[in-house]
Amino acid sequence: MLRLTDLRKSFGPIAAVDGVSLEVHRGEVFGLLGPNGAGKSTTISMAVGLLAPDSGSVDVNSQGPPTSHRVRAHIGVATQALAIYDQLTGLENLRMFGRLYGLSGTTLAKRVEHALDLVGLLPRAKDLAGGYSGGMKRRLNLAAALIHDPPLLLLDEPTAGVDPQSRNNILDTVRELAKQGRTIIYTTHYMEEAQRLCDRVGIIDKGRLLCVGTVDELVRTHGGTSLVRVSRGEHEDAIETDDPLRTIETAITHGRDTQAATHPITGIRIDRPDLESVFLALTGRRLRD
Amino acid sequence: MNILQSISAAVAIAVTDLKLLLRDKLDAFFTFVFPLIFAIFFGWVFGGAGGGETGKIELGIVQLDKSASATAFADDLAKLDGFHVTRFDDVAKAQDKVRKGELVACVVIPEDFNAKFEDLFATGAGPTVRGYVDPSRRGETGLLEGRLTELAFKGMTRSFSNTDSMKKQLAKARESIEKSKDTDPSRKFVFNTFLTGIEGLLADNARRAAKDAGGGKAPSGGLGAGMDNFRPVKIELEQLKRDSNGPTNSYEVSLPQGIVWGLMGCVTAFVGTLAVDRQRGTLVRLMCSPLSTSTIIAGKSLAGFVSCMAVQWLLIGVFAFAFKVRVPEPLMLLLATTCASLGFVGLMMFLAVMGRASDGSGGMGRAVVLVLAMIGGGTIPVFIMPKIMQTISGISPFSWAVRAVEGATWRSMSLSEIMLPCGVLLAIGAVGFTLGAMMFRRNASAH
Ligand SMILES: Nc1ncnc2c1ncn2[C@@H]1O[C@H](COP(=O)(O)OP(=O)(O)O)[C@@H](O)[C@H]1O
Ligand SMILES: [Mg+2]
Repeated sequence: MLRLTDLRKSFGPIAAVDGVSLEVHRGEVFGLLGPNGAGKSTTISMAVGLLAPDSGSVDVNSQGPPTSHRVRAHIGVATQALAIYDQLTGLENLRMFGRLYGLSGTTLAKRVEHALDLVGLLPRAKDLAGGYSGGMKRRLNLAAALIHDPPLLLLDEPTAGVDPQSRNNILDTVRELAKQGRTIIYTTHYMEEAQRLCDRVGIIDKGRLLCVGTVDELVRTHGGTSLVRVSRGEHEDAIETDDPLRTIETAITHGRDTQAATHPITGIRIDRPDLESVFLALTGRRLRD
Repeated sequence: MNILQSISAAVAIAVTDLKLLLRDKLDAFFTFVFPLIFAIFFGWVFGGAGGGETGKIELGIVQLDKSASATAFADDLAKLDGFHVTRFDDVAKAQDKVRKGELVACVVIPEDFNAKFEDLFATGAGPTVRGYVDPSRRGETGLLEGRLTELAFKGMTRSFSNTDSMKKQLAKARESIEKSKDTDPSRKFVFNTFLTGIEGLLADNARRAAKDAGGGKAPSGGLGAGMDNFRPVKIELEQLKRDSNGPTNSYEVSLPQGIVWGLMGCVTAFVGTLAVDRQRGTLVRLMCSPLSTSTIIAGKSLAGFVSCMAVQWLLIGVFAFAFKVRVPEPLMLLLATTCASLGFVGLMMFLAVMGRASDGSGGMGRAVVLVLAMIGGGTIPVFIMPKIMQTISGISPFSWAVRAVEGATWRSMSLSEIMLPCGVLLAIGAVGFTLGAMMFRRNASAH
């Protein structure tokens, strides 16, 4: 559905995107996970034809680069910078964006209502967007990306600066859209979101795509071992292991034999490796600094 | 996207921008309200020089015949609503005032008024009252013509198809005139003279009708044909071309000033809107849509054009109706305002794109526009500036908008004369638009 081949883009001395190659398949939710400044937005901008890459190429649905109007009509974009007119109502915003895609009349009205409903803004449709909360603005921004029913959606940090309620709504909406068979590219610096939502994840840092795969694959290959923490009162043992269940079992049986009387186990915690661990393993840094 | 969809998208962009302009209270105020207040205020402040009662049409009366009927006619004329009347003894003097624009018209009641009036029912042709009018004041002279005709036919407007019923009506009319207490004697005299005359005409008509009866004509012999030629007082209007090209009232001077501030409001509002568009993701969002850059530029320009036209015609409308600003050739004014709007759309494009190059908020553009507006006639009208300043003001696009609008109002320029300011405005528009669009396209390099 979307193929990026060796994309590069520099701003002066900064290589914002430094050779990214990627293929996103039809119907999958692909997460682009990376810290701020990793090059996610720049990649998205090139993917939708807003920025011309210094080198490399973008192909959408085997129809060529998004510089052509016909190709752009198949793409829905929710940019990281909110693309919303504060002085227009939610309804007016969506009508306006719908018209940009050649929608009109009852088709437009239906699409607008559907999009508003999907993001839960129908009750506030006639209020000025300027009065919306940050989360509602994000939801409207997402609705504007859906207005023309595009098969390919690029969502750039759709949960940035959002309250938990809106966040859940947005995640649910994305799941719903995925269920409808759309191809979704979802950028975020929240590894929980990538983990919960995405079929496959690419980890990006400093303009380079470090790895691509399902969450399980990435964790298995790069996440390292689990950590089992066994507490006995004040004292805690941290045991690295590939098989946490066995480790716990032995800890319990072993403890009964030797220390049970004086130091009973008061708590057990398993720290499984996650995308955070993958990022740490690959870059030596944590995702959120 | 087909052509229609592109047009509809450009219109959607324009409508959005106009909504944003109207909903931004400060922008809307400085674009529409402030120029109006400014121009009305300055028109009022300098209004003392214009003289005369504002709101009334300045009319001169020259009464050459001192007879009772002529005096009655002149008095009726002087009592008309909406006119401020000055009497003159000398026709030439009154005509001169019309040429100078101090009078909208003068009406001359000829020496033979009474003599012709008395002959009215013998010859069927009454006296001729001549009006000399300023051709640039069409609205007012139209009103005057209507009022004069009304006066001339006063009491004579009923038409009858049947001679007998008309005779009865006439008798009744005579009776009611006699009884009436609040009709003044001079008018009673006029009515009675008319009625007697009409009775004579009727008798004449009846005789003729009887003669024609054999020829297949209706025996009732209506008055219709006779009434067509029957004019108790004949009105002839003659145009006097104005010889001094000066504004006749201070509002004619302050209107172009208001237009300067209105256009400035439009430019700053749109430079601001585009800057905000760029800061917020909205412009980027427009670029993500399947629209070509040209469509986006067209939408933005359309909004600018509409707002420039709207503010100019808002001012013109208010000033023409409430402050007697002359619009001799509405089409010429349409040309002038269209050229001004196109010129300023070009300026908007250029400044909006330049704004990005400088500070991104359009602050520099705003300052440049303010200076241009001030030297372009926003504060001191260009035509009363010293010659050297007039020349300097030529670098300001605003001064050319002022020249064009003045040309189509109090200057009454010919088409070829107005081509200069209009041409300059179009050139400014073309250059600004080309440069602006080129830079806009370059910024949107991926397209
Ligand atoms: N228009 C620009 N001009 C200069 N530098 C930019 C521009 N856009 C992005 N960058 C730089 O490119 C890098 C990647 O930015 P971005 O793609 O926005 O990262 P992300 O979206 O992952 O946070 C950052 O270092 C950023 O400062
Ligand atoms: Mg970003």
